Amino acid sequence: MTEAAANPVTTVMRALADPTRRAVFERVFRSEEISVAELTRGSGVTQGAISQHLKSLKQAGLVAERAEGRNVYYRAAPQGLEPLVVWMNHYGVFWRERFQNLRSLLKEIDP
Amino acid sequence: MSAAELKAETKDIVIDEVFPHVAETIWKALTSAQLIARWLMPPTGFEATEGKAFTFQTTPGGAWDGVIHCRILEVVPNRRLVYAWKGGDERNTGYGAPLDTVVTWSLTPVEAGTRIRLVHAGFVMPRNDSAYNVMSGGWRKVVRQLDEISGEE
Repeated sequence: MTEAAANPVTTVMRALADPTRRAVFERVFRSEEISVAELTRGSGVTQGAISQHLKSLKQAGLVAERAEGRNVYYRAAPQGLEPLVVWMNHYGVFWRERFQNLRSLLKEIDP
Repeated sequence: MSAAELKAETKDIVIDEVFPHVAETIWKALTSAQLIARWLMPPTGFEATEGKAFTFQTTPGGAWDGVIHCRILEVVPNRRLVYAWKGGDERNTGYGAPLDTVVTWSLTPVEAGTRIRLVHAGFVMPRNDSAYNVMSGGWRKVVRQLDEISGEE
């Protein structure tokens, strides 16, 4: 596994840690699809900065892009948040199994 | 909705089941190192006394040696056992990522035996109510996973 692939949670958390980027992300997922130009309007930051944020969000797997002619449209890719549940899934399975073990053990010592 | 609303929040794993045994018997299984080794993992240094530290050796992941560091936070015989459950390494994410959680066992006598409720709390996740609603696809999946691991909750 590559370093980047091994660290999806950090990537997502870092991508969302920046307030401006978070605001960009929120605007993207509130829209069905949105262009860089639309995102820039009224944002108070340059189109270049917006593009950089979108690049980070894309790398974190939080947004997806679609090119149409000279425009690029962005939409939210919420599955990018999935890595965050890795630990939870691990322990969800872990405790279920342990509950079964506990049940069997108790049956054995207290029939 | 403002960006500030997107904040970290913790989620819990909850398992709640009724076992056909009296609380005293279950308590023994939860607090005897020998018995813990048979259903959970062999602990090192376990003693059901508040403040006592113990460890579990689990599968290492990345920069993490796999050691779970625990500390007994609360002991109410036959009723409640709480311990800190910490592990992971800053350099890891996913399995092996920093983990600072608390495991709580609660026993309640019921007609059919004893209700055992396990709450493993403190999993940090980003959350935003609006995001939760809007990003329905991804969150539906997350929530479904939470439901699966939360048993009958």
